[in-house]
Amino acid sequence: MHLKYESFVREALINGDKTYGQVTEDICRPIEQKPSKLWYMGFAFSLLLLSFGAFSVFWEVYWGIGTWGINRTVGWGWDITNFVWWVGIGHAGTLISAILLLFRQGWRTGVNRAAEAMTIFAVMCAGQFPIFHMGRVWNAFYVLPYPNTRGSLWPNFNSALLWDVFAISTYFTVSLLFWYSGLVPDFATIRDRAKTKLRKRLYGLASFGWTGTAKNWQRFESLCLVLAGLSTPLVLSVHTIVSFDFATSVIPGWHATIFPPYFVAGAVFSGFAMVNTLLVLVRKIFRLEDYITIGHIEAMNKVIVLTGSIVGVAYLTELFMAWYSQVVYEQQAFKWRVLGPYWWSYWAMMACNVVSPQFFWFKKLRRNIVFTFILSIVVNIGMWFERFVIIVTSLYRDYLPSSWTYYSPTWTELGFYIGTFGLFFTCFFLFAKYFPVIAIAEIKFTLKTSGDNYKREMKRLDEMSVPEFIHEVEHAH
Amino acid sequence: MAHKQYWKGLEELENTPEHQQIVENEFQRDLPVLDMSDKLLNATTPRRDFLKFLGFSTLAATIAASCEMPVRKAIPYAIKPDAELLTPGVPNYYASTFVDNGEYCSVLVKTRDGRPIMIEGNNSSSITQGGTSARVIAATLSLYDKTRLRQPRANGKAVDTFEAVDTPIAAALSSAGGAVYIVTGSMLSPTSKEVINRFVAKYPNAKHIQYDPVSYSGMLLANEASYGKRALPSYNFEKAETVFSLGADFLGTWLSPTEFATGFMKTRKIKSSDAKNVKMSKHYQVEGMMSMTGANADERATCKPSEYGKVAEALYRAITTGAAPSLPSAKLNSLIKAAAADLKKGNGLVVCGSNDVNLQIVINAINNAIGANGTTVNWAATANYKQGLDADMVAFVNAMNAGQVGAVFIHGVNPAYDYYDAKKFADGLKKVKLSVSFNDRLDETTQLTNYAVPDHHWLESWGDAEPKTGYYSFIQPTIAPLFKTRAFQDSLLKWSGASETYHDIYNQYWIAKLGGQANFDKALQDGVAEPATAPLAGASFSGNVEDAITKAKAKTGGKYEVVVYETVALGYGGAWSNNPWLQEMPDPITKATWDNYVCMSPKTAKEQFDAELTGINQVERNKKVLKVKVGANEVALPVVVVPGMHNDVVAVAVGYGRSKDVGPASINGKNAYPLVTFNGQTFDYANTASVEKTADVYAVAITQTHHSYEDRPIIQEFTLDEFKKNPRALMESRKEELDHYAHPHWMGHHEENKDADLDEKAFEKNATMYPVHEKPGIHWGMSIDLNSCTGCGACVIACQAENNVSVVGKHEVLKSQEMSWVRIDRYFSGDPNDPDSIQTVFQPMMCQHCDNAPCENVCPVSATNHSSEGLNQMAYNRCIGTKYCANNCPYKVRRFNWFDFNGADSFKDNLYTDGQRDDINDDLTRMVLNPDVTVRSRGVMEKCSFCVQRLQDAKLTAKKEGTPIKDHHITTACQKACGGDCFTFGNVNDPESEIYKQRYVDNKERVFYVLEQLHVLPNVNYLSKIRNTNMIVAGSDKNEMAKQHI
Repeated sequence: MHLKYESFVREALINGDKTYGQVTEDICRPIEQKPSKLWYMGFAFSLLLLSFGAFSVFWEVYWGIGTWGINRTVGWGWDITNFVWWVGIGHAGTLISAILLLFRQGWRTGVNRAAEAMTIFAVMCAGQFPIFHMGRVWNAFYVLPYPNTRGSLWPNFNSALLWDVFAISTYFTVSLLFWYSGLVPDFATIRDRAKTKLRKRLYGLASFGWTGTAKNWQRFESLCLVLAGLSTPLVLSVHTIVSFDFATSVIPGWHATIFPPYFVAGAVFSGFAMVNTLLVLVRKIFRLEDYITIGHIEAMNKVIVLTGSIVGVAYLTELFMAWYSQVVYEQQAFKWRVLGPYWWSYWAMMACNVVSPQFFWFKKLRRNIVFTFILSIVVNIGMWFERFVIIVTSLYRDYLPSSWTYYSPTWTELGFYIGTFGLFFTCFFLFAKYFPVIAIAEIKFTLKTSGDNYKREMKRLDEMSVPEFIHEVEHAH
Repeated sequence: MAHKQYWKGLEELENTPEHQQIVENEFQRDLPVLDMSDKLLNATTPRRDFLKFLGFSTLAATIAASCEMPVRKAIPYAIKPDAELLTPGVPNYYASTFVDNGEYCSVLVKTRDGRPIMIEGNNSSSITQGGTSARVIAATLSLYDKTRLRQPRANGKAVDTFEAVDTPIAAALSSAGGAVYIVTGSMLSPTSKEVINRFVAKYPNAKHIQYDPVSYSGMLLANEASYGKRALPSYNFEKAETVFSLGADFLGTWLSPTEFATGFMKTRKIKSSDAKNVKMSKHYQVEGMMSMTGANADERATCKPSEYGKVAEALYRAITTGAAPSLPSAKLNSLIKAAAADLKKGNGLVVCGSNDVNLQIVINAINNAIGANGTTVNWAATANYKQGLDADMVAFVNAMNAGQVGAVFIHGVNPAYDYYDAKKFADGLKKVKLSVSFNDRLDETTQLTNYAVPDHHWLESWGDAEPKTGYYSFIQPTIAPLFKTRAFQDSLLKWSGASETYHDIYNQYWIAKLGGQANFDKALQDGVAEPATAPLAGASFSGNVEDAITKAKAKTGGKYEVVVYETVALGYGGAWSNNPWLQEMPDPITKATWDNYVCMSPKTAKEQFDAELTGINQVERNKKVLKVKVGANEVALPVVVVPGMHNDVVAVAVGYGRSKDVGPASINGKNAYPLVTFNGQTFDYANTASVEKTADVYAVAITQTHHSYEDRPIIQEFTLDEFKKNPRALMESRKEELDHYAHPHWMGHHEENKDADLDEKAFEKNATMYPVHEKPGIHWGMSIDLNSCTGCGACVIACQAENNVSVVGKHEVLKSQEMSWVRIDRYFSGDPNDPDSIQTVFQPMMCQHCDNAPCENVCPVSATNHSSEGLNQMAYNRCIGTKYCANNCPYKVRRFNWFDFNGADSFKDNLYTDGQRDDINDDLTRMVLNPDVTVRSRGVMEKCSFCVQRLQDAKLTAKKEGTPIKDHHITTACQKACGGDCFTFGNVNDPESEIYKQRYVDNKERVFYVLEQLHVLPNVNYLSKIRNTNMIVAGSDKNEMAKQHI
């Protein structure tokens, strides 16, 4: 019997009569089987998107940033919008794996692997934008502080963009380590089950000679805890620093002290929405409904309604501050944001981010798979608009009305964005095929406290009278 | 003493005969191999062949290795030229004269390594006084125009020698039956006239007529009727206290705008240190369209061009009899009344842009009545700018069509494009046996002539000008002719059988006229020879005013009237249409580039044609296309809504819609000359028109789409009265805004001294949490006087020429990806529905070189950083192009290299092309680049550098002189170009400098910094605009533009 006691009132986190063996079987099945037709189609489509993106980027690098629609007034458009959006999406993964681990939230085990994978892939996608938005991307290494023969000439440590470089690269490294260390015992499981030589060899390499000794497990647990400790501040710092790109500027609509918490909340908001989008599909396609239960979905929907409301308050605070400041530039910036030629983007953001999550106050809707799926996409659209609104509608009408202009993207910008979807899903399909999408080892930790069949047993025990219970325990052998 | 013997070896000691032979033959030539020569020579590869092989293979390897190498054409001086004439890397300046169809400007041409790269104004000229215009400066680019004819042509084919054209032309000329016509633009050159006279002497049936595409015949004839002189007087705007302009764009395009603007802007200079006694001219403007001059007027009212007669009459009566005017609008009435009162005070000047003889007689009568003749209107030095009579031209075209013309020589004009009835001209020309064009390109007329014998560009030739009687100005070549061209004077001389060359005649003429070679040399060096004291005289008016008034006001108009106008950039057209700098220069009023269009008032556009000034207009670049019809001629052009246009008037610019042979940059738009009519005496540039909708749209590249400055404190304007009453108003408002930060309460500042100035130093120090940098030594600063800016754009083009700023083309401007370092922001205030209420302000805007620059701290790689002299500088090599700096620039003056616009990129074959601007990257055209300035590559940010190359040069000069750097060492390109002296530049730390005086002594109270409250500490300050009027619309409840956010 597990040491941890969990009330039977709590919903089970694993449905069905699962044993350890079954868990392993269920999760390893997709890896050991030939992928379905659906997988091939999806993968091919992702590759197609990726190649279109690669072509768009090639086109832009070869001809110049002028192939984009950005201009003398709006210097950042879809590029940085997409960057912030992807970084934001990544946040849910870290939050789930790190913070929820520290808070001992058992339900995280069903979703953390996929969420972490999503984080890694999202950050990979995000990273493309600041790199390829450079006019001279071949000199991108100038941003790295390395000793050089130019003086030494160092980057400008005052620049928020440089902080970004450090923040994102640290975040990526730590997330990758965290994710990978969790994978090690699972890889060993697959290795041990492998029927082909190649698989045995590759998973053997990937599992670093894991043997499953008590020492192994002890070190594994400590490492996870340390990495969780490292990741936790990163959840907050990454998007805080991303928000500094804007908050440290002088542009009305950007120059705001509310940005760090507002960005972090928005990031978690969009991240959870993206996790929902992906998991609703994954559980269906890989038939993992028993492990990613409706309870998981509901838990994440609760986070969505909370963070959605936080960003809603932030939006209203911004408007209030603009009015309260009595600074004409601030007031007008928000006026043009709400009512100017880009009014549709503001209202799209408001509708998607503030209004739509409020439906999750209703339990019925929280537990409705179809509704959750649709809403998770709506929220992601809304969060994309939020970044667009912040970036473009602050720039397009700033201090001097003579420079006011409009911005629309071109096919290369569109292609770049689509291409990152290609990258994301290509990675995700490979992940789903070759990696265990649910942490086998970790979910087993919770099986005996939160598994459906164990819960039923627990319920029986709970309802027993004390003498009966004592009798049963005494005669258990 | 015994002579000791030393020997070097036993051989010497023994001194055998063999040794003696060896000593004799000290340098042995025999090589040991000779012993084997038989063997060698008989080898399969003998020695000589071996050397051949060696030579061949080395050569082959060299050639093979060099195949892939780009060939760079850098030709070193094998023999260094005379140091005084040319030192590589050191510019030479030559005085010369810009003459373009009667437009005149005395200039200095800067040449580097034998090629002209920059044109600046010549301060020695009392006429243009160092002023320039956009076109004058852009002339260097036209010199290197790829589309120029490179050799003569005969019957549509290029020929290699002049003989190939000379012989047939001379033969045809001698056998030509009928009249011979030489058609030129207004000719300022006395020696050219002399050459033409000789030609006419040789061929007595020859006749010289002058033709002005935009004609001033009406004035010439009116002056003949009024004063008995068919000439134009000199207008002395510098002396004018009141100027009344009836539709004359004298600051932009009318007659001699550089001269007038330079003179007139002197009457607008104000010092706040002497505010109580400040004097400023008053400028009234009545016009139909919104001209640049109208935009600068103190008082402006609109009327239809057909009503000009009534307005002139009203003004005449108000001045002579005091009769109250009864004109269509109340604003007109009050304006005429006020103008009449002011004009009567003396030193008034009335000018009129109409080509109507009777109207000009009335204007003469008014000038006579207010005593302008002899004060502001000078008849002692008549102006020669325009000499063409429209009737002559019409008679010539009729003669051609009647088959009476045997030969035509055309120089510098292009009637097949700019004659009102171009088809008739073309038809007539076909009937002429011999037609010769001297034009520089295969323009519309040259396409039709039998022969083309291209003339030199003025920068390649000798020449002269007499812009005003008794005022001489000289042209000297600044580069050897680039192509096989010949001075047209030489061609004429050749065909008239003269043995002299034009240069002989030129020398003889001027040495005789100026009294000796030395005087001539000095005149050439100065560029001008002018009377020691300027003559001044009036003329007695003897015109029939009443008759003229009756005829002038008899003109009737229709529902719509169309004004055909010249743009400030392109003027009448000509070669300028193919000048990418000018094509991309935003129009001062509409801020449109690369096209012409129908200008229309907001009210009419909205109510009649469903086209709006604002809203979607700021987003949507596609404009509705309208059809403007005069008689049988129509043009279909997009509508551009312009506040300040009379509601019944539309305006269309000439110079666009050229033939593709004129050049790829010139083809946009439509030709508007067909909308000109001939009234039997003169050409009419304003006519009754019908305007119709079409279903089409057309994209117009406009750089500024928002027109109001929204009452933000980025512009400061005051009326003259307000300013006199309280010159410190601006200082007080700045103090109120910033004192809180300069003397924060927490620092113990409680008492406020209202009378004290704003403590800029305290603001700098206390409004930040960061330590403040000391600024010892040189600290560069610029002051821009909003009162002096006419919006003409000369600075924009000067900057482009000086700093190798890329032309991006229409498509890029449409995407707001333009690159000009200086832009002129133009803001309207007033009610868009009431054209008379519009007030306009121009604000040159460039990098403000903030001492606390927001661009600098956001650059991740420190590519933009601050110099110890206060410059915000760009290290192009370091820039990776994140564009963060541009985003964070509150002034939005940073410019990004979106594409490889100029071939400086290291990628292969990715040069940006759009089919229009591409000639700018031709090897020939690239000769215009300033070698002192880096040509920026794709992907880097750039912006105004305060002409850092000039500053560096100035510092070196001062160092060599061993003096501290002073004002005379430095001028920035924009500063030099500006005839209005809008820019003051110098070392702010030097109390003797002009910039110091402007900021801290003379105009302290007028100083403001744009967005000062951001604490970015700009190094560019502005001086408030003072309008000599009753009310500033901006900031008042009448400013509908700001209220409606247009």
